Amino acid sequence: MSATQIAGRIAGVDAGAPIRQSSLWQDAWRRYLRNRGAVAAAAVFLLMVVWCVVTPIVSPHDPNEVDFASAYEGPSWSHPFGTDQFGRDLFTRAALGGRISIGIGFAATFAILGIGVVYGAISGFVGGALDNALMRFLDALYGLPYLPFAILALAIIGTVDFWTMVVALSIASWFITARVVRGQIITLKENDYVRAAKAVGVRWYGVLGRHLLPNTLGVLVITIFLELPGVILGEAFLSFLGLGISPPDASWGSMAQDGRDSYRAHPHIIVIPSLCIAALVLCANFIADGLRDALDPRTKET
Amino acid sequence: MAAYIIRRLIWTVPVVLLVILMTFGLMKQIEGNPFRQTERAVPAAVQANLERKFHLDKPWYVQYGNYVKGVATGDLGPSLVLRDRTVNDIVKEQFPNSIELGLLAFGWAVLLGVPAGVLAALKPNSRFDYGAMLFSNIGFALPNFLVATLLIYFVSVKWGLLPTSGWTTWQHKILPSFTLGLVPMAYFARLVRGTMLETLQQDYVRTARAKGLRRRRIVTVHVLRNSLIPVVTAAAPLLGYIITGSFIVENIFAVPGIGRYYVTAVSARDYSVVMGLTVLLSIIVIFANLVVDILYTVLDPRTREART
Amino acid sequence: MALLEVSDLRTHFFTREGVVHAVDGVSLTVEAGGTLGLVGESGCGKSVTALSIMRLLPTPPAEIVSGSIRFDGRDLTQLSERELEDVRGREIGMVFQDPMTALNPTLTIGTQIVEVLQRHLGLDRRAARRRAGELLEEVGIPRAHERLDDYPHRFSGGMRQRVGIAMAIACGPRLLIADEPTTALDVTVQAQVLDLLDDLRQERQMALLLITHNMGVVAESAHDVAVMYAGQIVEQAPAQELFSRPEHPYTEALLAALPDLDDPHARESRLAAIPGRPPDLIDPPAACRFAARCPYAELGDCCALEPPPLRELRPGHWVRSAHPASERHLARL
Repeated sequence: MSATQIAGRIAGVDAGAPIRQSSLWQDAWRRYLRNRGAVAAAAVFLLMVVWCVVTPIVSPHDPNEVDFASAYEGPSWSHPFGTDQFGRDLFTRAALGGRISIGIGFAATFAILGIGVVYGAISGFVGGALDNALMRFLDALYGLPYLPFAILALAIIGTVDFWTMVVALSIASWFITARVVRGQIITLKENDYVRAAKAVGVRWYGVLGRHLLPNTLGVLVITIFLELPGVILGEAFLSFLGLGISPPDASWGSMAQDGRDSYRAHPHIIVIPSLCIAALVLCANFIADGLRDALDPRTKET
Repeated sequence: MAAYIIRRLIWTVPVVLLVILMTFGLMKQIEGNPFRQTERAVPAAVQANLERKFHLDKPWYVQYGNYVKGVATGDLGPSLVLRDRTVNDIVKEQFPNSIELGLLAFGWAVLLGVPAGVLAALKPNSRFDYGAMLFSNIGFALPNFLVATLLIYFVSVKWGLLPTSGWTTWQHKILPSFTLGLVPMAYFARLVRGTMLETLQQDYVRTARAKGLRRRRIVTVHVLRNSLIPVVTAAAPLLGYIITGSFIVENIFAVPGIGRYYVTAVSARDYSVVMGLTVLLSIIVIFANLVVDILYTVLDPRTREART
Repeated sequence: MALLEVSDLRTHFFTREGVVHAVDGVSLTVEAGGTLGLVGESGCGKSVTALSIMRLLPTPPAEIVSGSIRFDGRDLTQLSERELEDVRGREIGMVFQDPMTALNPTLTIGTQIVEVLQRHLGLDRRAARRRAGELLEEVGIPRAHERLDDYPHRFSGGMRQRVGIAMAIACGPRLLIADEPTTALDVTVQAQVLDLLDDLRQERQMALLLITHNMGVVAESAHDVAVMYAGQIVEQAPAQELFSRPEHPYTEALLAALPDLDDPHARESRLAAIPGRPPDLIDPPAACRFAARCPYAELGDCCALEPPPLRELRPGHWVRSAHPASERHLARL
């Protein structure tokens, strides 16, 4: 928007902002880069992922090796994060735990996205009575807390491993995504270029695939970073309650649970994995904010 | 308006039925019947009696029907582990504590979060604004078990100001409710700031200024009212968080509520309790949503007509 | 002395992309009880001028960098916010462009009128309500007293604009600023609202500053007309005078662009548009701002070298141009 238009907007006059759809992604990318907080967050996020992948490979310590002689050590050069009650190196374990926590996070998020997109797209695209029914149904389901259902699902499934966690966490978390996707599809459907496509005779799958879904992409990317924190925290909660991943595999949540009893004397065991979670969640939130501002600049214009 | 309420109510019925069905169906997946899973071997004759008593010998849809009937009449069934108590007993015992915890947490959130958001919006980009939003972001990110642990460590253990766990005196109730209220607090601060900033941009606020109204009146009558409406609708997902959070908070602070009991019941395989609690929580949430929806209609006159 | 005297007002917006010189040298006068029409195309700064007079612009990023706004002798640019709050709504009222968003949707219109009356006139609730009903009658709302408890969304656009006018004149201001009051309304309603404004002006001996981009509106209603372009006043004269003897090339072009129904050749000819676009206000031309689009500016002219000052060509007729119509034949000598 030109400054004249900004001034015009303030004065209540629309000086006519031109819409350029062709370089939407480039514009968004550039806008994102201008947001230093969001860029920093993305960098840290990436760094953490790399750290989780690389550290266990290059670390001199075996994350599962028990060594009571070095139990409960605080941070030091050989153990940057210290050791836990079994003398295991927390730096390596945290990285490994990160692999699992982040992995579950993304897997569950994509599952949520999958379910949500299907539900929302069908509802929004078909419209009419089906949409009405699906949405009323969703309205009633809306605020249901995912934790009891996740716990239930895990209890039913019996074993708790990576994929069962993913299923349990996504079962009751897709409602918001479905609603967002449906809202987006409905808004886009009303657009003239969709009507034009239909008028020219493009089939419904063409309209859906070529016009509606690609424009929903932006919203979906934002949704990824909005859902990720919830899922990661969810897994952490489950593990902390003792219902999570079974040893020796550890996620950040189960590492925190390990440190529960000894927090008075050795707080680092619970603090470190918790801070890892917090850092990742914080980054994801900033990234989501940055993406939102980048893709919908109107909200920033004041 | 009344028609709208009735329509919404009607739609909650199939949803509740479905939730019960899902829970029920999931429970049935566990192999066999729960009585066979107890450690003590139960003689076959006794077992047959128990099964008949609890209708476990009937086909699943009959059991489902019985259960739904039970729910409708307020009977959530017996506990499978604690033989002499029903789910209702447990609920009556533990639920009030959870409600109290939730309300107190909500109270903290409104007390501290809303004013923070208002002040941040009235002085945008000030140090207070940045500080408040930073706190808010951190509040979202820190897992509540960490907050709880740190609070206990500093406030209870180190400084000895408040007890570490339990739920008897008012001092016991401060830390757990504050911990649970932290995320809602952060949420409100952000939300209120956002809605207020948006409202302050509205044309009608400019009109109010053009009329020479004093700033205080503009903020309280024109801005706050319209900014707080979205806050009401935010209450629904917040309830979901409070329920979820209570599982952890009750666990750490040893609050005798249903969040803590749920986990205990799952570990003890008292599936009847698990099912009953799930159904109960779901019904509460569904009705809370409905109430919020209606409240929204009351607050925003524009939606009244649209909803008839 | 005129009721409102704006002298060389400059309002700039300090944005990340640069400084927008939205109002850059605006001088105008409004006589007590008279009507000044402020005309110009979208983006020329007329609304910013109005908002500057009322000091309603958000002060970051906007700022009145220089100039004075003398209302009844007092310079509004020197008043504190509290003093301004006493002026707004009481001495000067304002009506805004978009009636759909100018009223608070969650308050009844009765409340919104009553609050002005209570604020400035100290009326009690009962008296204020009665007065509010009378005001609604005055602006032509049928069943006025019954509708006090209705919410804005129950009124049509035209009705809402009348409500807005009622709020603005409630305390008997001596100046009413109407910022494009009819732009968002249907053509049939436009005429009604303009008539209403004129009636109110006469009955209450109120001055009216009417801002619009529509020359037709101005021709109907105004005593004096000021033409604005790119943040500056380029011509001001009594209405009759302006329409019969326009001086500034821009004014001439605007008038020429109006389709003339009486012209027998109207159907065959094209609408005369003004070629080019207004200059960017972040980096406006240092000299004449209209030069790029002016049919009379020649290469090497002073137009590109120095900004033409606003000068009184004839008594009461001011022009900011190096080539006003009455001097063009001189240039050819």
